[in-house]
Amino acid sequence: MKISKKVSVPWHIVFLITIFLLIFPIVFAVGSSFKTLQDAYNNPLSLFSLNPTLENYQTFFDSLPALQITLNTFLIASVVTIFKVVTSFLAAYAFVYFIFKGKNTLYFILISTIFLPFTVTMIPNYLIISNLGLSDSLWGVVLPQLADAMGIFLLTQALRTIPVSLIEVARLDDMSHWQIMRDIVLPLARPAVTSTSIWFFITAWNEYVWPVLILKSTENFTLPLALQMYISSEGGTNFTVAMAVSVITMIIPLALYLMFQRYIIGTFTSSGIK
Amino acid sequence: MKEIRFENVKKSYGNTEVVKELDFTIHEGERLILLGPSGCGKSTTLRMIAGLENISSGNLYMGGKLVNDVPSGKREVAMVFQNYALYPHMTVKQNIVYALRMKKVPKKEIAARLEDALTMLQLRGLEDRLPKDLSGGQRQRVALARAVVKQADFFLLDEPLSNLDAQLRVSARKELVKIHEKYKQTIVYVTHDQIEAMTVGDRIALLNEGVLQMIDTPENVYHRPANIFTAKFIGAPPTNILEMVYYDGHIQFGFQKMAIPDGWVGQIKKAKSTEMVFGIRPEHVEIMKEPRENVMFATVKSVENLGAEYAVYLDFHNEEVIVLSSEKEWHAGEQVYIRPNVQHMHIFDKATTNSIGYPERMVSRVPVFN
Amino acid sequence: MTASLKKISANKQAWFAYGMLLPSVVIMAVFMFWPFLYTIYLSFFDWNMIKPTKEFVGLQNYINVLKDPITYKVFWNSAVYIFILLVINFTVPYIFAFILDFVIGKMNGFYKSAFFLPAFISLVVGSILFTWILNPISGPVAIVMGWFGLEMPIWSKLDGWVIFVLSLITSWKIFGYNFILLYASINGISREIIEAARLDNVPLWKIFFHIVVPMSSATGIYIFIITIVQGLQFAFTPIKVITQGGPNYASSNVIYHAYHEAFVLYRTGHSAALSILTMVIFVILLILEFKYVERGIYYENK
Repeated sequence: MKISKKVSVPWHIVFLITIFLLIFPIVFAVGSSFKTLQDAYNNPLSLFSLNPTLENYQTFFDSLPALQITLNTFLIASVVTIFKVVTSFLAAYAFVYFIFKGKNTLYFILISTIFLPFTVTMIPNYLIISNLGLSDSLWGVVLPQLADAMGIFLLTQALRTIPVSLIEVARLDDMSHWQIMRDIVLPLARPAVTSTSIWFFITAWNEYVWPVLILKSTENFTLPLALQMYISSEGGTNFTVAMAVSVITMIIPLALYLMFQRYIIGTFTSSGIK
Repeated sequence: MKEIRFENVKKSYGNTEVVKELDFTIHEGERLILLGPSGCGKSTTLRMIAGLENISSGNLYMGGKLVNDVPSGKREVAMVFQNYALYPHMTVKQNIVYALRMKKVPKKEIAARLEDALTMLQLRGLEDRLPKDLSGGQRQRVALARAVVKQADFFLLDEPLSNLDAQLRVSARKELVKIHEKYKQTIVYVTHDQIEAMTVGDRIALLNEGVLQMIDTPENVYHRPANIFTAKFIGAPPTNILEMVYYDGHIQFGFQKMAIPDGWVGQIKKAKSTEMVFGIRPEHVEIMKEPRENVMFATVKSVENLGAEYAVYLDFHNEEVIVLSSEKEWHAGEQVYIRPNVQHMHIFDKATTNSIGYPERMVSRVPVFN
Repeated sequence: MTASLKKISANKQAWFAYGMLLPSVVIMAVFMFWPFLYTIYLSFFDWNMIKPTKEFVGLQNYINVLKDPITYKVFWNSAVYIFILLVINFTVPYIFAFILDFVIGKMNGFYKSAFFLPAFISLVVGSILFTWILNPISGPVAIVMGWFGLEMPIWSKLDGWVIFVLSLITSWKIFGYNFILLYASINGISREIIEAARLDNVPLWKIFFHIVVPMSSATGIYIFIITIVQGLQFAFTPIKVITQGGPNYASSNVIYHAYHEAFVLYRTGHSAALSILTMVIFVILLILEFKYVERGIYYENK
């Protein structure tokens, strides 16, 4: 459909301004993280410093167990991702390829938890973690995050797009469910499984609520929690250090997104609704 | 005994009966066509044989064994799907041998079967391509090859040619018959295309609304339709069906009448019913400008060019009659004369729509091609 | 005999399926369903998470919640949050998606990627970035405004402003997700329908309201609901990081307030009652929404 350039040019401008508003903070953070605090206060508008410095990163590594914190974040995100992808994939496979009693009801109940605000499960989950003696531990952060139906939803939608006849051919060939899963469904659902995994990883990497509630000692901290330490004092005197920690926190999610954006956008858009 | 037997088989989804009482046998080694309009239950019937649909009631026997509860994988069936169902992530070769490898068929045997199939279906040189890099005809042949190498007793095809263009269909039909002559499996072939049914089938089972209408050779289905549905469904344009009255050696339509042979007179008298309808195919009616013996008149409504012939639409006692003619010179409004060929007429019971049968003498006249 | 055979094979299938569902169901039962029920239970008791005994108080917690003026304040705040979040993350992306698909039609891959990018960044990062960028004295925005003689309000201390800014920060994170889902839905509408309308010279805005919105309404409603329900939860992070609900509860919403009651004031009963009330209000809203809109829904996939 052809629509005149006259109409579309102003809209390009609107879109580019929107992108500027969305992306500017990220660029700003990267630039500021290489400035001295002095420099940042004097030249807030210049994106990059003329005398770049690594001292903000240095400060972070000196004042907190930064490597340990990064490793914690990575470990938590990895465990959460692996567990959620495996359980969600199995559940999605059962929902798509099996007929059993209560299937629709169970699916509905599981999926509707996506709409539950976390406050209705927050206190008991906190108590469970305390009673298990997992306060201030990485497992204490991992466990409550595992209860998430989003993966079941995304993967069920993805498996439904695989033509049923492919599975029927395999059934006619006397294939077991494990063979069908391994040789047919998993290879064909790989884009969806990959992007769901990345989404899980990034969500867990960025998770804030459970680390805040569970973690107490700095050597158990995750990156978002460490970052918060640089702002809680009013005035935010360590602003440039906070920018350095922000950059470290952003870098892995952004790298994953840039590498897999086509898969990820594809999975979210083709999942559709219902 | 690689036959398939349906005993009072029914299939329903909730309250909708898709297949109502199937009761017939598919013989070992024959090519049986399941034919019918869309929604007639033919695909469901095929999928019940494959074990992809449960049977609601009745019994299904395959190779003499009751298979109602035998899972698909244990039924010795190979199937070709309408959309081919090729694994998109596997090459042609992987698609063909995957099932054999999983079944742990010896490597040598797999290689031999693969070679055979590649040659027979002209897939050589395409072994390492992915399905997305193949043409429609090539995909169809890969699907056939994948089914053939299983060397299953039962070979099921669900509209396998419907996604091909007209020319490819002709060659694919021949290929299929060739394959069958080599392996002699029992073939069940679903289609809605009667040309395909006629050319491929040893026998045709015609279904409508989940009920078997007729099962017989293509010749008999065409020349000896068992009921009005069969007569109208097979052949194009469809068989003309006309209200009639029998009187004293004649069939009467309104105030016109037509003499019929003695054989038919006897047949009509034997029939239980008194209310009957007359059927005649458009190609079995002569049309002429001048009256001759035993003709009736009608008025031309319109003419349709079919290429080789012309379909002349006539008004005959307020009913429409279609006649095929090789001549073009028919004009709307013109009065013409028609003479049905009584050797090819059909008479059906109006209430049951079933054929009242055919006179003995005439049966022998039907050419037998088998 | 056949009937029993069938049962066995059907049962075998079902057990296989239940086995595959087991891990998910166990996890959901332990960390979702049981906690949910236990929250309802806690809402009838007076407790502070430390005392060894819980005192049954019946509906007293609910009465306290409903008598507390702060409750009304945070509910009102939540409504304001919802309104702003819907404008920025429902109305705007709906129009943008339409414009990108039908007016611009080019560079859609680039725009989608760019819009979606912030969704992958921690909201703690976002909160800190925006605190500095929007710093009323030395932040870049304040300086640019100064060139035009404008003064940046000290938003973190001002009622109204604080919610607006925190909503902006939350929107930064959720805008892209909503955009790509709406875009996909609009992109799925058959071109022929739109082209037919254009041949009839129907103006763009009419195409949008008469064809595009009804035909993408299933996704539209999903985005509407998810923006309300998850938007308030996402707003938790900037509230916790930047204002802790202040000044004087001016930036708190129902989610943050439930957290505040439980983990700052240690009033578990009060917090639980508030959470349950919130959920009930959500559910009622959802049902009303469905009842009201259901008639006009067009399901894309059916």
